[in-house]
Amino acid sequence: MTMDRTRLIFFVIIGVAVLVVVCGVGISVLPRITGSLGPSPTPNPAEETLEVRVVCALPVEPWVTEAAKQFNAEGHTLEGHPIHVEIIPMDGLAAMGRYDREEFGTEDNPYPTAWIPDSRYLVELVNATYKDLRGRDVFLTDGEYRARPIAVSLFAWGIYASREEVLRQKYGEIDWRAIHDAATAKGGWPELGGEPEWGYFKLVVPNPNKNVGGLAAMVAAAGEYHDKNVIGVEDVTDPAFQEWLGELMGAVTDFSSLGAYSVENLALFGYSMGDGGQLLESDLLVNMQGIQTRWADPLVIVYPKYVTWFDFPFTVWMGPETTAQEKNAALEFEKYLLSPEVQQQAVKRGLRPANPDVPLDGPDSLFVKWQSQGAMVIVPRSTAMRSPDRDVLLALLRWFDLNVAQR
Amino acid sequence: MRRRQTPGTVAALVGLLTLLVFVFVGCCSCWGALDKLLPSGRATPPTARGQATLRLAYSPEKEPLISELVVGFNALGLTTPDGQPMIVEAVRLEPDLMIQGALSGDFQAMTPDSSIWLDQLDRAWQEQTGSESPLVGQTERYAISPIVIAMWADVAQDMGYPAQPVGWLDLLARAQSDSNFGWSHPSTTTASGLLATLAEFYAGAGKTRGLTEEDVQRQATLDYVAAIEKTVRHYGEGEWALVQRLLSEGRGDLDAFVCQEQLVIYYNRQAGSSAGPALVAVYPKEGSLWEDHPLALLETPDLTANQRLVFGRFVEYLQSPETQTRVLAHGYRPTDLSIPLSGPDSPFTSDLGVDPAQPQTALQVPAPAVVQVVQDVWWYTKRHTNVYLVVDTSGSMEGEKLEGAKEALRIFVEQIKGDMERVGLIEFASDVYDVVEMDELGRNRQALMEGIDGLWAGGDTALLDGIKVAYDRLQERGDTERINAIVVMTDGLENSSSISLYELIAEVDVGNSRGVPVIIFCIAYGDDADMNTLRQIAEASGGDVRRGDPETIRQLYKILSTYF
Repeated sequence: MTMDRTRLIFFVIIGVAVLVVVCGVGISVLPRITGSLGPSPTPNPAEETLEVRVVCALPVEPWVTEAAKQFNAEGHTLEGHPIHVEIIPMDGLAAMGRYDREEFGTEDNPYPTAWIPDSRYLVELVNATYKDLRGRDVFLTDGEYRARPIAVSLFAWGIYASREEVLRQKYGEIDWRAIHDAATAKGGWPELGGEPEWGYFKLVVPNPNKNVGGLAAMVAAAGEYHDKNVIGVEDVTDPAFQEWLGELMGAVTDFSSLGAYSVENLALFGYSMGDGGQLLESDLLVNMQGIQTRWADPLVIVYPKYVTWFDFPFTVWMGPETTAQEKNAALEFEKYLLSPEVQQQAVKRGLRPANPDVPLDGPDSLFVKWQSQGAMVIVPRSTAMRSPDRDVLLALLRWFDLNVAQR
Repeated sequence: MRRRQTPGTVAALVGLLTLLVFVFVGCCSCWGALDKLLPSGRATPPTARGQATLRLAYSPEKEPLISELVVGFNALGLTTPDGQPMIVEAVRLEPDLMIQGALSGDFQAMTPDSSIWLDQLDRAWQEQTGSESPLVGQTERYAISPIVIAMWADVAQDMGYPAQPVGWLDLLARAQSDSNFGWSHPSTTTASGLLATLAEFYAGAGKTRGLTEEDVQRQATLDYVAAIEKTVRHYGEGEWALVQRLLSEGRGDLDAFVCQEQLVIYYNRQAGSSAGPALVAVYPKEGSLWEDHPLALLETPDLTANQRLVFGRFVEYLQSPETQTRVLAHGYRPTDLSIPLSGPDSPFTSDLGVDPAQPQTALQVPAPAVVQVVQDVWWYTKRHTNVYLVVDTSGSMEGEKLEGAKEALRIFVEQIKGDMERVGLIEFASDVYDVVEMDELGRNRQALMEGIDGLWAGGDTALLDGIKVAYDRLQERGDTERINAIVVMTDGLENSSSISLYELIAEVDVGNSRGVPVIIFCIAYGDDADMNTLRQIAEASGGDVRRGDPETIRQLYKILSTYF
């Protein structure tokens, strides 16, 4: 009888211990297993939210961030799941570098659901990298998930009016050749017909290592130098061109940390840091008012012969790191960005809408407001610069690092 | 009746307990392994967001602005999603120390006077870690101010300003032609000091852009810069401290100095003259640079999600219209371009010595490598120093006081980077002793360190004799090319010298006017030091008296080292 009781206690203790341990492990592990296979039997409302992380190019980031706030506030859902959009501002080249080096995908830095680079060619460059790494495209060029522009903008000359007048009198037309000659004038502005206190002609070019706009400016300069809109490696490695480009870059006042936001700098530091440069039209338009408030001299916009366009494509990451629902949620946000109301907000920020139903000359249009300063609703007589290939970009960056960044 | 347990029962229970221990350990191991193998859950536990206090380093010239803004932000009472209060904790540091602190992970954000330091920080970070990813993350601006030559109104008028534009070359020519003209700039560890030095190198190379390492290192350039630097009265701990000193002690023998425009407004407001501005901001005609006061997040490995969040909210706060209006009120140009500088409440008026339409042009910022060479080479071209450290080792210094002073002296010697500076060490108690003879630091740095280590306390206080010995040595040397200075420290009352205070001051008066000018900086160490005597000695030599204690003595010597 005593032995039976002891045995009973023994088995009860063993049973309870095993039960406790199994339950404990089960509680910890089961949700994670079921979470990756299907819906949890006891769903946590917070886990139902579909997170959409969008890495976004800097020129459209303020508009996209504002749109994301509205989108989140409006409570959009997909198949019953709330969608939450988070915008991560990042220059297109910096984002491309992170994709290339596979720096996304860590606990602190998960793969973005979507990417809005400055230009379609950056998407193609990342695809080329991943074709080597994974044997397929990670961003699609056709079908439902294809890259679609959400707004466009182009590169135009933005020059302080007093300086532009002097240059026009001296050279007639504002183009890269005229700017080069102004930049290399040994006597500075007095030699060009300007005021002595203006010093030397100061060119604004963003640091291409920090802002893809700097690379676009160099490509545009190459186009005008060679008088063609398709640029190859042989064009940018041509010693005569490199010498000419080096002289041009010698007129840039600052390539240090100030170089990331070029038009903002042009507005903030005025003509003291830069007389003008070929910069993104939307940035120029957004800063026109601020420049007039801060500096006595207004800015003038001049459209170049060869135009470089940025199309800001919304591209959904197609790798397994994000779920199908997250990809579809990203598409919902893309549709939202293309809606007429949100596109109208883009126009207010100096961007040209991707939705053809949205007019560019509406009541709040910056294109209309700044027509007196040279802004145009329709860009005339232009030839579009073709997107350069990877080798051209790398050759230009390498040249910049060796000849300008270390000058 | 108590039941007696059989040996079999005991063995069974022991076995049972052992089994349970094994089951428990096994489960823990499995649990740990599974925890690593399985994907983590989507919901982040609140504690994983980490602490929500953001330590922010700022450069000294922003003291009033940052103090006010940090208090304002913390008073908002913001909280993180996991309920922690969002706090910004500000710490004041010179830019060079800020770079060291950032590399050591002492803070998570920094706002130096210029973006130039961010480039240098990333270069140092890459050298230290080999990482391709920069340490400097999101960077925003909230206030800017151009670097100017601050001149007394009568001096500026004498140079023809504003009818005639004045530039770096005019300033340098005036300093060379007029031995009574006093000017100074901070060392190259601040943006304004660096700009002044860059302007000298540009002038020496005969350029206003495209400065190269070769230009900087060319002998003709070095000779030119060295000649200019010889006209500098003495260096100093920075523009903010200089303006504070001018406010408390008056104009002194300084005619011009280099600082950011905001400090001209600050000085004129504090001085409160009704007859126009006392100081005028001269915007150099060859070009200036800007202090752009970047606010940068540092992507340190232990940066928490909450600290990142606090940084974002702090940026929003700094860029809000209300804060930007306060930035303007402090005399900075706000980054919000919708705020005009010509508004009714704007301090950008000629009454406060500034012109919002200036500067017209800027000097070209050379590449970081060239800037680094300029900083390195400056130590060789700057005006060199003969400085005696005169130290009280009387009985009252025994214990913690002497140990603190010894550490402070060591810091002083370490901080003077140039091996061409001459330093000597004299101690005084009942008598005066030569501890280490004055020589170039390249030759006696180690001897100085050993001499400092060997100091011990005992005896009376022959303060005046100690100063006299150092003063006589400097007069005998008769070196007018260098800054000649004495840094004397005492904690008590003079009671053992053979010379009187009157005699010493008379000797300094005569020596400084007929012989070599020697500046005497005095440190009153502790409450018992004879402040009155020290003040008279310092004033006779055009020097300064500072009060220190065992807590502040290290920092005090460190500050004084920047004068040389």
